[in-house]
Amino acid sequence: MEGVPTTIAEQLQALLCSERAVAYLQVDSGLNLVGAGGQLNAYGLAGLRLGEQAAEQAFFLEGFLPPVDTPFVVPSMELPSGRAADLHFFLQDDTCLVVLLDVSAERDAARRIQQKAYDMTLAQEREALLNRRLEAANAALLATQDELEASRDALARAHDQVQAQAAELAAWNKTLEERVAAQLGELERMARLKRFFAPSLAELIVSSGNERILESHRRDIAVLFCDLRGFTAFAESAEPEEVMALLRDYHAALVPLIQQFEGTLDRFVGDGLMVYFNDPLPCPNPAERAVGLAVAMRDSVAALARTWRRHDYQLGFGIGIAQGFATLGQIGFEGRFDYSAIGTVINTAARLCEAAKDGQILITSRLATSVADAADVREIGPMALKGLRRELAVCNVEALKAA
Amino acid sequence: MTATLQKKICMLGAFSVGKTSLVKRFVESVFSETYLTTVGVKIDKKTVDLSNLTVSLILWDLAGEDDISSLRMSYLRGSAGYVLVADGTRPSTLEVAMSLRRRVETDFGPLPFVLLLNKNDLREEWAVRDEEVQDLQQSGWWVRSTSARTGEGVDDAFGTLAERVVR
Repeated sequence: MEGVPTTIAEQLQALLCSERAVAYLQVDSGLNLVGAGGQLNAYGLAGLRLGEQAAEQAFFLEGFLPPVDTPFVVPSMELPSGRAADLHFFLQDDTCLVVLLDVSAERDAARRIQQKAYDMTLAQEREALLNRRLEAANAALLATQDELEASRDALARAHDQVQAQAAELAAWNKTLEERVAAQLGELERMARLKRFFAPSLAELIVSSGNERILESHRRDIAVLFCDLRGFTAFAESAEPEEVMALLRDYHAALVPLIQQFEGTLDRFVGDGLMVYFNDPLPCPNPAERAVGLAVAMRDSVAALARTWRRHDYQLGFGIGIAQGFATLGQIGFEGRFDYSAIGTVINTAARLCEAAKDGQILITSRLATSVADAADVREIGPMALKGLRRELAVCNVEALKAA
Repeated sequence: MTATLQKKICMLGAFSVGKTSLVKRFVESVFSETYLTTVGVKIDKKTVDLSNLTVSLILWDLAGEDDISSLRMSYLRGSAGYVLVADGTRPSTLEVAMSLRRRVETDFGPLPFVLLLNKNDLREEWAVRDEEVQDLQQSGWWVRSTSARTGEGVDDAFGTLAERVVR
């Protein structure tokens, strides 16, 4: 300690020894401990045995002996006791001196600073890691959002498609309802028309869609009346069930014929029937058709009459036919409409029917002229008919001419 | 009759990978959740019984350094082997461990060592790829996942290294 008074140097030495817990170990070339001193207890080195292996007693020397180069320092070495020391290796004569200087205070100070620095670094690393995770989570969220938007678009498209299909379906439904309503209307009209006309005629009227033909109008028509002779007397004497059964057979035989000849069945009145031709749909040769129907009716009833006679029913069958203009159309009121014809020609045909005997088909001479090519007609002569002011020339249809 | 050997082993690795905790688990069978940084070096001792001898391992727990240039190589003088420690949740610490290993080999030659991927109890935060570990194992490294918290793999690692240093 150059320039320092001996007393100060001694004081400093004493201070260093007490503050730094100075201790030493001396090791010979055989690595045996040959000397030790100072504050050995402070480093847990009490009870050292001189002359024995140094590193076995002070295990921190393991690997350092013999020293490769000196002086050599191992800084801040913490022993199991918790005390930290700098180890100074240097040679003296043939021995190695190891001096221990306590640096626990410096170690603690350095630890405080280092601890803060490492804590901060760890916090930064953790923050960086969290940021990376947040970014990854954010990217995943964005991807999910994109997927959701894509799904939403797809959903919107599907919704639009469903809406369009629903609209299409509604349109189809409307069309269907209209068609059903139209068909129902047609069915109703058909049912109504079938009361008056042959089914084929009723269908024609419906398919034409023109019901104006049912409005009141005038037309030249051939009118046929027929009924049974002796029916009133029969009805009075027979049981009602018998009467009804007979009428059922009678109508069942005649009505199909009316439909076959496409006549318009105006009405049933008991055994009487009124049929006319050329209305509401026009037809060629209404007179011929009327006469053809009359002959077919006569033949059909003649067959029935044979059965009736076996039951002892005395019934004949007469027909009257006339041709002329009549007023035709719907008559009646809401809920109860009929299609009918009014005019002198109706009365004439009805009176001719009254006048006809069993098996006779009485027609006016005018009508006879019209059907001359189709039927064999025999003139009967003028007849005074009820309700007609003048006598009428009347003929009887004998048979149809062969085609 | 078994002979007793004394071998110096150094613990090397980046800071806060668990070197001190591994030594404490190995020597005292305890674990502390509190992180206390090491300054300089901590010395400890643990005796390991091998098949035909007992080895006293003098464990030099070196302060963790990310900057290997600041590693005090004087601490490694006379070392018989070393334990490289990395934190499995921080991949950068594996790079530090590999750098340290190159530095030690340059200065001291090929010493026996083991590589421990510590903090295996934090599997949900694990970040070291299995392929990387497999590559190291295939190149002849002894690599294990360890947990100073649970003790998983700790005795096995020190025992393996003890056998390697007395060979």
